[in-house]
Order: sequence, then C-alpha cells, then structure tokens
Amino acid sequence: MTITLTINGVEQILSCEPHESLRSVLRRAGYFSVRYGSSTGETGAAAVLVDGSLISADVMLGAQADGHDVETIEGLSTLGQLHPIQKAFIDSGAIQSGYSTPATILAAKALIDRNPRPTEDDVRDALSGILDRETGYLRPVHAVLRAAAVMRGEEPDDIAITHLDPLLDGGSDAASADRARVSEIAPRVVPCSDVPRTRVVGHAEPKVDAIKLVKGNPAFTDDVDLTGTLIAKVLYSPHAHARITSIDDSAARSLPGVHAVLHHGNVTQVRYASGGQSYPNPLPYDQVSFGDKVRYVGDRVAAVAADTEEIALSALDLIDVTYEVLPAVFDENEAILEGAPVIHDEPGMEGAHDPSRNIVHHLKADTGDIEEGFAAADRIFEQTYRVHQVQPAPIEPHVAIAAWDSDERLVITSSTQVPFHIRRMVAPLLGLPVKRIRIIKPRIGGGFGVKQELLIEDIVGHLTMATGRPVRLELTRAEEFVSSRTRHPQTITFKTGVDADGRLTAQEMRIIANTGAYGTHGLTVQLVSGLRGLSSYNSPVKRFDCKVAYTNIPVPGAYRGYGAPQALFALESHMEDIADALEMDPIEFRRLNWTKVGDPLDIAQQLSEGNQDASVMPIVTSSGLEEAVLQGQRAIGWERRNDPDWRQPEDRPNIRRGLGFAMAMHGTAIPGLDMGGASLKINDDGSFNLLVGATDLGTGSDTVLAQIAAEVVGATTSDVLVYASDTDMTPFDTGAYASSTTYISGMAVKRAAEQVRTQIIARAAEILKVDAASIDLYDRAAWVPDGRSVSLETIALSTLHQAGQHQIMATASHVSPESPPPYAAQFAEIEVDVETGQVTVIQLVMAVDCGVPINPITSAGQVEGGMVQALGYGHCEELAYDRDGRVVNPRFGPYKIYRADEMPRLEAILVQTMEPSGPFGAKAIAEIPKDGVAPAMRNAIANATGVRIANIPFTPERVWRALQEA
Amino acid sequence: MTMQYSRPLTLDEATTLAARPDTVIMAGGTSVNAGGGSSGVTAVDLQALNLAGIESLGAFIRIGAMTRLQALVESDLVPFTLRDLARREAPSTIRNAATVGGTVGAADPESELLAGLLAFGAVVTLARVGSTTDHALDDILHDPGLISQAIMTSVTIPTTGVAAAERTGRTPMDRPIVMVVAHRGAAEAVRMAVTGVAHVPVVVDPERIKDLDPPSDFRGSPDYRRHLATVLADRVLTAVTESDPE
Repeated sequence: MTITLTINGVEQILSCEPHESLRSVLRRAGYFSVRYGSSTGETGAAAVLVDGSLISADVMLGAQADGHDVETIEGLSTLGQLHPIQKAFIDSGAIQSGYSTPATILAAKALIDRNPRPTEDDVRDALSGILDRETGYLRPVHAVLRAAAVMRGEEPDDIAITHLDPLLDGGSDAASADRARVSEIAPRVVPCSDVPRTRVVGHAEPKVDAIKLVKGNPAFTDDVDLTGTLIAKVLYSPHAHARITSIDDSAARSLPGVHAVLHHGNVTQVRYASGGQSYPNPLPYDQVSFGDKVRYVGDRVAAVAADTEEIALSALDLIDVTYEVLPAVFDENEAILEGAPVIHDEPGMEGAHDPSRNIVHHLKADTGDIEEGFAAADRIFEQTYRVHQVQPAPIEPHVAIAAWDSDERLVITSSTQVPFHIRRMVAPLLGLPVKRIRIIKPRIGGGFGVKQELLIEDIVGHLTMATGRPVRLELTRAEEFVSSRTRHPQTITFKTGVDADGRLTAQEMRIIANTGAYGTHGLTVQLVSGLRGLSSYNSPVKRFDCKVAYTNIPVPGAYRGYGAPQALFALESHMEDIADALEMDPIEFRRLNWTKVGDPLDIAQQLSEGNQDASVMPIVTSSGLEEAVLQGQRAIGWERRNDPDWRQPEDRPNIRRGLGFAMAMHGTAIPGLDMGGASLKINDDGSFNLLVGATDLGTGSDTVLAQIAAEVVGATTSDVLVYASDTDMTPFDTGAYASSTTYISGMAVKRAAEQVRTQIIARAAEILKVDAASIDLYDRAAWVPDGRSVSLETIALSTLHQAGQHQIMATASHVSPESPPPYAAQFAEIEVDVETGQVTVIQLVMAVDCGVPINPITSAGQVEGGMVQALGYGHCEELAYDRDGRVVNPRFGPYKIYRADEMPRLEAILVQTMEPSGPFGAKAIAEIPKDGVAPAMRNAIANATGVRIANIPFTPERVWRALQEA
Repeated sequence: MTMQYSRPLTLDEATTLAARPDTVIMAGGTSVNAGGGSSGVTAVDLQALNLAGIESLGAFIRIGAMTRLQALVESDLVPFTLRDLARREAPSTIRNAATVGGTVGAADPESELLAGLLAFGAVVTLARVGSTTDHALDDILHDPGLISQAIMTSVTIPTTGVAAAERTGRTPMDRPIVMVVAHRGAAEAVRMAVTGVAHVPVVVDPERIKDLDPPSDFRGSPDYRRHLATVLADRVLTAVTESDPE
C-alpha cells in the first residue's frame, strides 16, 4: 500500500506493507534516528512525534500514520544550528551512547511545546517511556529543565564543577561553592592537593561525539545500509538439554528467497570459547558454531539468510529438527552432585576440571594456614548468600553485518567491545586467515560487558561465505535476554575469624558458581569474585575455594562489574552482620580492617589472570576511601540511622526507614595483560587524528582519550579527531572491559602524544630560534617565556610543506604491571512497608575515588548510571524460569528496569587522589558503581527492620517472608 | 504475512467489517501491533470514527472508546483516582496511542485502569450492525464473547463519590503484583476491584477476600497475593470510608 506522511514538514508518499511498523517505514526512508530497542514499544528507542505527540513507532503501523504529521530528530536542527534541547543535552552530559537520545529529545520537545514551564515531575513523566540503561536519567531530566529555562529566556542553573572541601583532617563541613542556584548535575569533586594543574584534563569537556549523537546521525551498526543485504535469523533450542538426532532443512532451502540454511550438518565444527579475551583464550573450548547438542532453551540450532525477515522466519518454521530430550539441571549446587545430568559429554573436552561432574573449574588460592587463622580468632562467623541471574540489557541489542569487500576480504561491522579479539577468534571458525578479516566497530549503543563476546559474528560470517552476499543479524529483545549473555549466579559462603579488638584473623570465601551451558567467562569472572572478595579487607590469612558449574541455564558472561557485584554483596552483608554481632559501629569495624595505602593485595598474586611478576607483592598505591566515607555520610544524613523517630515515622505506621552502607573496591585493568595502542598525527590546521583501538561504549572514553592527547600537545579537545576502532586502521587494543580504557589506552595516548609533543617542540624551537627546553605547548601554540609563540597550525604547515618535511606523528602502546584499586563509599536510604514487604529506595549516594577524573562530567555520569544498574540488580531485575528452564520474562516490564519517573535521588561525589601509575593520576570508574548498591540496600533494610536477607533481589514477597520469619 | 489494513470512515462501515470473522479491531494499536500481527486478517483501524473525547453527563462522564489514555490523565472531568490510574497504565510513549477502548479490549489481568473502571461500575457501549447495547464492564471481562464482532464506542462512569487505590510492586511504577481500588458512590455502597488475583481484574466483596484463589508467578505466590489483597483492601476501604467525596 502507499501512505502519505508529512515528515518534518515535507509531504512524502511512501510504500509500505500493511503490517509494517512506522519505525520500519521511517528507517527505510532514511530516518536512521528511529532506532530498534524492541518491537513491542517497551524501550521507546523508536519514539517519534505523531501530530506532536510522543509515540513508540514500533507499535504503530505505518498505515496508522497515513495522513499524519511525523517529526523525527532529523527535522530538529537546521543548517547546522542545534536546537536548545540538543545543546542542553550536550552541556549537561546527558548523552552516553546516544542510542535513545533522539527519542529522549523528542519527548522533551513535545513536553516543552505544550508546557514551557515543566516541573521535574513533568519531565520525568514525559521521559517515562524511554528506557535508559546508561545515565540513571539524572542528566537527561536536568537537561530538559535547562533547555526549558533557556527557551523561556531565563538563566539556567549553574552546572560548573563544584569543588567540595575535604572533610578528612578536620576540613570545613560546608561545601566551598558559594554560587547561586547550583544544579544537581554540577559534578561534585573533592580536590586533592597533589594533583597538578591542567588545562584540558580534569575539565568537564563536552563529548567529542556529541553532535552526531544529539542529531541522530547514522552512526550505529544498524545504520549501515549495504545493497543486497540478506537478513539472518537463528533457530533456537526449545529444550534445556537435548541431542539433535536429525535436521531436515530441505523445505526451508526450497522456500523462495532463502539463500542459505546452516546447522551442524553443513558447518565445520571448530571448538572455541566465546569470551572476548586475550590470546590464548582461557579453556575450555566447549562451543562450536552449530553443534549436535543443545544445552539451554535458547541455544543455537541453525541459521538462515533470506531476502526478508519474514522469509527468514518462515524458513525457520520449515526446518524439521528431531530432538532426543535429556534431563536438565539448573541449580549450581545440584549440578555438581553425583548423578546429575552431564552437560558436556562430548569427546575431546579439553581444559575443564571434571566435566563428568559438571565442574568446569575448581579454583583454589590461599595465603597461609587458614586453620591457624581461625584458631587465633575470638569469634568466627560463617554465612551463605545467593545471588541471581540478570541481563545487561543494552538498549541496542547485538547486531552485526558481514560482507565481502572488493579484495575478497570479509568485513564484519559489529557492535562489539572487542574488535581485535573478534578478528582473531572468528578466523578459525570461518577457516580464514586473520589477514582476510576486518572488523569495524561503529558507534555502540551500550554494552556493559555483554558485547565482550564472540556472539553472532561467526553466524553472519558463515552466511556471507555461504551466499556471497552481505548478511545482517540483529537480535530481538527476547533473543538478547535469552541467547546473549547474563551475570553469573553464585552461592557464596564467607567464613571470618575476628579477634577481641575486631581485627580479622582469617577470611575464607567459598563459591559455587553457575556458568550455565558454556564456560566462556566462567574462569575469569570467578577469579574476580575471589580477588574482590578477599582484597577489600586485610587478613593475615585468606583462602579461596570456588567450583564453577555447568548447568542448563542461558549463558552467563561478562557484565559490568564482572565477578565483583556478587562478591561484594556477600562480603558487605557479612561484614555488616559481624559488626552487629560485635556491637561495633558498622563503619568503624570496616575501617579497622579495610585495605589502606601501602597494604598488600596478597591474594592478587594468585588470582590475577595477567602475567604478573610473582615476586612483586602488589600494594595499594592510592586510596580516597576515608574521605569518601565522610563525604557520603554527610550527603546521605548518616546520623539519622540511629534516630528512632526518623526510622519509624509516627504518621505512617506501616513504614520503617533505614540507611545502609557498603564499601566498594575494584580493579583498574588486568595487570600485565591489558594492552592499548594509540596513534596520533598532526593535520595542516594543527588539528590531530587520534586513532585508537579502544571502544567507547557510550562511557565517554573517546572524549577522555582526546582530552589526554589535547593536554599533552597543547590543543583543544575538539581539535583531536578520534577514530575508533577498526582492525585495519587503528592500533591494537584489547577492548573495553576490566575498567581499563582510561588507565591503559589513556596511557598509550599520553605516550604517543608525548612523542608528538617532542616533534612539535623541535620544529617550534627552529622557528622561534630558542632552546627546545624553554618551550611549552598550550592554547594551540608553542610558547616561550618571553611571550612569543608559534601556532600549531604554522608548525603543521611548516613540517608538512615547507622545510625538512615530515609527518609529525607517533604510535605508542601501554601495558601496566599494576591494577590500582579505585575505592568507593556507597550509601542507600530506603523505606520498607512492613505489611507488604515493598521496599522503596529514596536515595543513593556514592562517593568514589577514581584517582583524577579526566572528565568529571562523564565520570559523574558513569557513577549515576552504574548505580542505577546496580539498583536493578539489588531491587527488581531477575531472569525468571519455568520448570523446563524457559525464561518467562524476556521483555522489559516483566524484566523490570527502572524508568525516569520512579527514580530515587542520586548523588555522585568524586574524591580525587593522585594515582602514580595512571595517566594524569587516573584510576578506573566504570565498574565500581555496580558493586555497592545491593549490599547498602540490604544493610539499610536491616537498619529499618532488623531483618538480614541473604538473597537478592529485594522483591516484595522475599522481604515480606523475611519479615514473617523474623 | 498477508495482513490487510482498513480505516473505515463511518460507524456503519466499521460494524460491517467487525461482523466478519477475519477482522481485528485496532484502537491505538499498542497491544495489537506488539503481538506481531496475524496472517490473513484485516486490521480495522477506528481512528477516523470520531470516537475520541470525554463528555460530561451530569453525575456521569462518557469517555469515547478512542480517547487516548493521555487525554484521561489530563482531563479535569475525570475523577482524580482514574486519572492517576491512567497515568500508571502505561508510560508516555504508549499513553499517547493507547485508548480506553483498547484497554477494555485487551483485558490485561494486571491493568490498573481496568480495575479502576470496574470499581467505578463502568458501563461499556457496543455497536453492531443495526444495534447499540450497554453492558457492565464486569460482564464483558467475564465473557469476552460479548465484544466479539462489535465496535466499542464508549465507556461511561460516575464522577461522584470517593475512590482510592493501593498497590504493591517491585518499584514505584512497576505493574503491581496486586492492586486494589475502591469506589464509594453516591449510594454509599463501596465497590472494590483487584488486579493480580485472577486472569482478569475482578470485583471482590471485601468480606470474601480470603476466598480468593490467585494465580502464581515469579513475583508473587498465591498466598502472598491473597495477603496483599487483604492488606491493601483494608487500606483503601479505610481511605474511602474516611475521605470526603472528590
């Protein structure tokens, strides 16, 4: 049928199928800002304005919109001028990956058009339909309020960095800022006197990719539009555990429009591990592209490439698979019992500890005789906790496109965090040498670890090789929930000995971990659990014992925080309860024991996966934890926790209030393993191309890397043009994981920039006829103390065209022997309805020491957004199953993530320390916000009700039952 | 997929189409389209029929079946409790498309708005070829056959009396595990409706809450849901008994 739409003021006659969504119609017409997040309206990534009203274009037919006005973000900015809302989003740091930013800005526009003076509640309601997995909503909401103020002609609130006075050593108890109307989103930084003054680093620079994101320009994998692209679809197992006894694909192959049907019968079986990790990938290699056994509901069976999605789906229906259904096991504790179904019984299993007992790994570490440590204790505490399975759920799902280029090399464009690992790992699966494969990572719409995986690139590769055509595969939301990757569930036991003074004498951590159907990150996630669980507090002797079990649940993998959120939930619950039993203040008890500057991180010698020098004991080189605790206590109003009138409000008899604390400690990159490379060259105008292999998931790392380069070479951030990443064009980088990009890739950038700086200064010295040592670079020029200068542009033109011509450029890489821990103090304020068990989170405060934040606005955004993901982990997110192992809630809503109109108050405080091994003093910040919220909530519930809960999430029935049992 | 699309311009045309066995009535489309559509059916889009709008009839209002949920949220004619339930029914991106009629037709067991309409004793007007009939919403939810092959034109509710709602969910705006809404009308009779305790929202006699036999899912066992219904019913009954009319 044909429909008439007035799109951004221009009438267009378009053809569409009667069942086709408005999203599909608009994308086909070139409006790439209308994005896929779901096909059921639940994410709002496809929201547009229809007759001025915000509507999810994935649940509206193109036909329904016939005759109506449609507005997309492409219509918002004309002639290069940004709309005030777009500008406010950039200024406020409201953009992370930018995937849903166009929809969010349209929601704001619709609101402000109707109500020029919206309240915060109005804004939150307007944004309620657009799920944001990244920002925690704080910055987008305030960006809208800011835009509305600007559009009314008013002065918006001040969002410049607020410097807070240090409280340690008796600092003033009031914020130093003496400014009118400071916005909630002004980054709060507690400065450290050791930090040298910088011109670009440490400043709240706008993101280097903000313009394209705020305008909705085509930038993501899904926006790559190659002629003749086939659509891939995957047939998934309906059984949790079964052998495929036969596959008949003849009917599917004969369906017109089907170009290939692949399964174990026609694809070479090459064993691999799918975790995107450094060479050699950790064993076991327990997967093949298509196997003859399925191990969870949602496991791969076959894949089809066809002219259209509908034909591909029809073809899947025509594949006749016969299964021999086998008994299944889902619980990690049951899986390792004698007689449990054996999940990996294939011949040639290599590198698994005991596959006959479903034990993939048995990890052990100790720092001495644990029994002696317990014997020295006055009291011994032992508690067991269970943490559940959640899904990272980036709003952009996994999507990849494969195609042959003119040199008959396979080009795979993929939303991946690890393009270089993918190139190396996919080559043997496809039977191609690495040199015939190129991986391009465009803009990524969020990853959080789930894209640190070889998940679908082999499928599109196989299908392109089978058909000769470009092939595109994008997971649906349900597929993303079930068939991508999740967080490892664990059963965790801590046993701790404490002496009469409250000091630890021994600490033991035992884990039974559930790695689902495949090993992938099963080794390394659990190593991190041990590392984090046994590095936070000093103990003369420690022991770690962890069994990692195969089960028939969907596969856990990497998820922001890796194994730390599991470990820290258990540890920080355990430490709270010990303090309670000892009748000690929970923070004082921890303070007595937590690791401080100079303390050894002894368990790291055995649990780090990198190539550390075993003779060197890693120690804590910087910590702002003491300051962070004081700042957090002040921000949350910690003194209220002992006020009975506050905890039990008189006018609300069913409500109890509580405050909870958890400390968090993370790592910064994998020492001796993670490597980043960078290449920097100057252009005619004194701008620079920065080529990095690092992958910005939306975190702002491209911006941070540009700031580091700009600081060193005296340029502005916007003079540094970042290109990342492409295995043909950029230096190697292990990728975005393990909180490594700022610290590792940042140092690589700094080194490359320092070489470039030397070259610039050499030419400047020639031009200015001075000694090179007297020259400094800043403000886009080389300066000498007498005030003379020569611009970077002049230097560039001189070296490129005029004399002694050469390209000023350098390439460098970096690997660190250290992994300096960031520390944080997490606080939570909650209310419990003691009649129903419902927990309401009122406020979350995290004060975090990330060394020197290179960009305080993106750093604060990392903390805010990370806390909200962590809140979901503790409060409401869970994959739920029926008895056959089928996920019953593979969509947002039933799988509950927080939305804009139900958020607690959020506050991030950045406590500076000067980390000697980091670029400009930086440590990591990306993952630590995931670590403390669940235990802080749990401890707040205990403060409110006296009930101490050992399992997450704190859903109403769980809390109610705990209250009943108390 | 061979779905057809039709946008009738008159009620007669719509009722004729609705009488065919192969049609799906589409109001806002947010439920129908989320289901992925079906082959061999005609989607009958009611947007051209002028069925949107809220009309005051003294102590009642008539809400056109195609009235968007957002219009309910914003209307001063609609009792406050129902406005709030309409807001909670769906987020911003859906409320501008989803309709009152579609909410009744979809009969979501966890629909707070539907429970609210039940508590208010809503009457649903249906049009068929040559006839128009009124039905209690309660009857329609128990016998969905009543609306098959018909076009819903409006929902009528009283505006007098007092109402209150209470809910328990995982988060403040989560679809509640159990939600209870009560309305005390002009005749002083209290009518209470509950979600999460049956396959549709149901009217429950406050005296018989303990007899409920709720379904179970990962968010709530039958016992827990019954407990919630009891606690929340106490709260809303207290609220409607002690408050003054809106």
